[in-house]
Amino acid sequence: MKEQIEALRREALDAIAAAGDLKALEETRVRLLGRKGRLTEILRGISQTPPEDRPVLGQAANAVKADITAAIEARRNALEAQAESERARAEWVDLSLPGRRPPRGHMHVINQVYDEILDIFHELGFQVATGPDVETEYYNFDSLNTPPDHPARDSHDTFFVKPGVVLRTHTSPVQMRVMEKTAPPVAVVVPGRVYRVDYDASHSPMFNQVEGLLVDEGVTFADLKGSLMLFIHRFFGRDTRVRFRPHFFPFTEPSAEVDISCTVCKGQGCRVCKHSGWLEILGCGMVHPNVFAYAKYDYEKYTGYAFGMGVDRIAMLRHAISSIGHLFENDLRFLEQF
Amino acid sequence: MRISLNWLKEYVDIPVDADTLAEHLTMLGLEIEAMDRPGAEISEVYIGQILSIEPHPDADKLVVCRTDIGREDPLQIICGATNMKVGDKVPTAVVGATLPGGFAITRRKMRGIESFGMMCSPKELGLGEDHQGLMILEPDTPVGADARTILGLDDVILDIEVTPNRGDWASMIGVARELAAFYNTPCRIPELRLRETGEAATALSSVTIEDPEKCPRYIGRVLDGVRLGPSPAWLCRRLIAAGQRPINNVVDITNYVLLETGHPLHAFDYDKLAENRIVVRCARPGESMATLDGTVRQLTPDMLVIADAKAPQAVAGVMGGADSEVGEGTSRIFLESACFHPVSIRRTSRALGLVTEASQHFQRGADPEMAVYAIDRAAMLMQELAGARIAPGLLDAYPRPCMTPVIRLRHARANALLGTDIDAETQRNILRRLGFGIGNDTDESCDCTAPTWRPDVSQEADLIEEIARLHGYEKIPVTLPQVRQSEMVFAPHESKLRKLRRLLVDIGLTELVNWTFSSRDNVLRAKLSPEYLDMVTLQNPLSENHATMRSSLIPGLLANAAFNLNHGVERMAAFELGPVYKPLKNNNLPDERMRVGVVLVGPRQEPHWSESLQPFDFYDLKGVAETILDFFDEAVNLCENDLDIFQPGQSAEIQVNGAPFGVLGKVSVAVLKAFDIEKPVYLLELDLKHLLEKPKIHPQFEAMPAFPPCLRDMAVVVDREVPVGKLLAAAAQAGGTLLKKINVFDVYTGEPIPIGKKNVALSLAFQSPDKTLTDADTQKSWDRILKRLEKEFNAVLR
Repeated sequence: MKEQIEALRREALDAIAAAGDLKALEETRVRLLGRKGRLTEILRGISQTPPEDRPVLGQAANAVKADITAAIEARRNALEAQAESERARAEWVDLSLPGRRPPRGHMHVINQVYDEILDIFHELGFQVATGPDVETEYYNFDSLNTPPDHPARDSHDTFFVKPGVVLRTHTSPVQMRVMEKTAPPVAVVVPGRVYRVDYDASHSPMFNQVEGLLVDEGVTFADLKGSLMLFIHRFFGRDTRVRFRPHFFPFTEPSAEVDISCTVCKGQGCRVCKHSGWLEILGCGMVHPNVFAYAKYDYEKYTGYAFGMGVDRIAMLRHAISSIGHLFENDLRFLEQF
Repeated sequence: MRISLNWLKEYVDIPVDADTLAEHLTMLGLEIEAMDRPGAEISEVYIGQILSIEPHPDADKLVVCRTDIGREDPLQIICGATNMKVGDKVPTAVVGATLPGGFAITRRKMRGIESFGMMCSPKELGLGEDHQGLMILEPDTPVGADARTILGLDDVILDIEVTPNRGDWASMIGVARELAAFYNTPCRIPELRLRETGEAATALSSVTIEDPEKCPRYIGRVLDGVRLGPSPAWLCRRLIAAGQRPINNVVDITNYVLLETGHPLHAFDYDKLAENRIVVRCARPGESMATLDGTVRQLTPDMLVIADAKAPQAVAGVMGGADSEVGEGTSRIFLESACFHPVSIRRTSRALGLVTEASQHFQRGADPEMAVYAIDRAAMLMQELAGARIAPGLLDAYPRPCMTPVIRLRHARANALLGTDIDAETQRNILRRLGFGIGNDTDESCDCTAPTWRPDVSQEADLIEEIARLHGYEKIPVTLPQVRQSEMVFAPHESKLRKLRRLLVDIGLTELVNWTFSSRDNVLRAKLSPEYLDMVTLQNPLSENHATMRSSLIPGLLANAAFNLNHGVERMAAFELGPVYKPLKNNNLPDERMRVGVVLVGPRQEPHWSESLQPFDFYDLKGVAETILDFFDEAVNLCENDLDIFQPGQSAEIQVNGAPFGVLGKVSVAVLKAFDIEKPVYLLELDLKHLLEKPKIHPQFEAMPAFPPCLRDMAVVVDREVPVGKLLAAAAQAGGTLLKKINVFDVYTGEPIPIGKKNVALSLAFQSPDKTLTDADTQKSWDRILKRLEKEFNAVLR
């Protein structure tokens, strides 16, 4: 009996070592340890032996069982590791092949710039207002202190729809529309398409502006400077130099144009800034008392500032876009660059 | 306006160099368009005197000159000009000199004889167009002097942009006055030295103003013995520096005085004026006249004219008439200096399509005091340069004297508006320097009277701007306002639009932005329904193709597809989010509403090595529509509708709650052809007006089911034309409360399904809140669904 047990151990360990894969190993395990397996048979045989031999035999059989179990476990681990490494070899990927990307769309560069501008003013507490593209002359000109025959109308080559109705030449008419709707305080920014009869390499008959209006008690020119400098530093970077210089707009008094140090040459002078080192980016000023009169606002109690900037020009500067025409050509090879 | 720095310095001392001056002007509000140094490239050109002129032995057209340039030996120079004589003084470029364009003078042999320099024509020095002969200088020009200084080639020309409110800046004196105020230094206005002789002007002529509204002041002078001829060199040089061309002394003087004073003058031939007198009046109906440019102008009664006793002789403030033009044979001149109403001039100028120097000046408003100075200055120059005798006295009709308003300035208000702390005396001083009269000054305020050249100043805010300007915008502090928001919401849909735009980009569409112009032809080419022909029309469009505002996004999207396909782009998945316009019957302004358009062309994916490309199809387009409507918490309902633009069978109206909100489909071959497109295009357009106005639905929480669903499949064969959507709807209805979800997971035609039929495979999810369902539990519901499909669609279970 003892020899039998020892023989089984040797035989079993050989068989386990010979099992070539997990399936063969499982068959071996069943053959050895299963209900009808060899060890079970031996254990059953022990009960036929004299009682005084049984403890020794039982001990030996259990030791063999433990050894077989351990050997199977070890073999299984080895086989599993082998299988794993074979699978890994089979599933090797070429890291250098391009990945599978979800489709990517591109927001129009103008709207990306709009978003960025509006977000900055949103943080300052301004809300967005909008107005119609097709506008009355009253809102576009008259109520903005630009009566018929005002020379300032010359600089706005206007598209006419019918007498008294135009395509707005700037976003400023929304100032009046907003002021008519509500009493101060007012803090709005106005994005929008605007139109002028002007089409060449540097002009598009449709272009984009952002207008701003703040009316409250005690709004000052210093506040205007501060707000716009904050905007410029956020948008163009802290090291951008800013210059407010006197200008004329019919609907603001005092008025200013704002230049920033050239984004291309950093103020050294280049073709983009016409060697001046400065780029004009917006117009602004304190709301004209006559405009307040149209809005029925009390100029003694309230003051306000307004500003307007060309979004197309700002987008072109930021992205070094050479011609405004690209913006509205809708060439995907252009649009997908942004 | 071109400002010569050398000339400007005659009126005001400028304590800084040209670059700093340009900066100062800019910060005063005079924008510098360009800075030009015409003689910057010129060096080593001196004043020479021709000592001898000998023929060249080997060239007929050349001469050999000896020219003294103040050095030990005269220079031997070969020259091709013929207009000079011995003794003439000419600008002479020596060996080593450079001329405009980088042209360098070297020692060279011409037909065997050496030449040591070049005597210059005006053109060679950049002083005009004349290159016929040498530039002969005045006899008293010092020999050997640097020609740059003598000829003003060291000048700097500042090209300034004059804002429409500051007509006074469009003159040398105006700019000088501003700088004098800025530098706090006197402005030197040339002194007048007139010798009046002979018969009084009032005896020789008269001025009658019939319309004082349009002409508040008219001043005339009569000059006699005028000798027309060329102007002296200094005057020519100044005109050239200002960008003008010298003509003759009389014309040049009026132009010169205009440049100097900003006040336009006109000279009539006195003897050609009927009865030698002036009547300022509106044109009579049917009147016409020939203007100086030789054009006959039809006049209307709202146009102001300067007439003689019989007929118009000038369109007031715009252009003189040919009949009374000063020319050969003129000896007596009637000189005009007037003030006209800016609006009247502007209207006339526009109506005639005639924009002149004069009309541009008058449109900005004229200074009635400068009118007097200007006519006297011109008379004086004509006396000095054209031998004129000046008849004593001005003919001055001044029916509407200029009233300058008295404006109260509150010093605290100035500081409150600017955010500054400028003391009262400083404020008043600034205004005084600018020529304002100050009275009644207290600690709090003063009364200010604007000078006659400042019609733009009419209220306190204007005074405050002057203070800010001269104080310096750069010195105004920088503060941040406390922004208080209005309670009103002005653009309630803006953030929704921004989110939708973001969503469409995120699902892989690229955004297009088209001009909002269109045309009827575009609508017709796209075969849109006739309602789209009701368009907002422009009176002055850029072109036929941009004659209207767009009524639909579709023509633009088709043009974009064509453009990109023609430029080698293979795949296009793009959208536009923007307004369309429709005239409204009872409203001046049209309806403007936002729409979204989507265009899909080419393969569904970007090319990838792992899979073959599949083209976009109808269901890609429908998927986008579903995504958009899902954003607005709405479901897509497509209504089959054969629209002309789309291919029949792939053409639908998008309905939301039964209302048509848009269209989608595969573009028909005819429309593709009209837009020159050769690939299939899928197009969708959706009106967002009502969708944007829908209040946002906030999803309400629902507990997750406690028991797993029982999933069963059902495959039925039906006729090919049976819409699966209807099948699903019927099944969902028949399924009862246990049926939680129903999906179509396969639609199959072909073997072994009979021709004309299709196999539709549905997956049904049954679920109960109370227990885990078994197939047996769901059998009744399953049977009901099948029965319904059998009955309604002749479905056969597979």
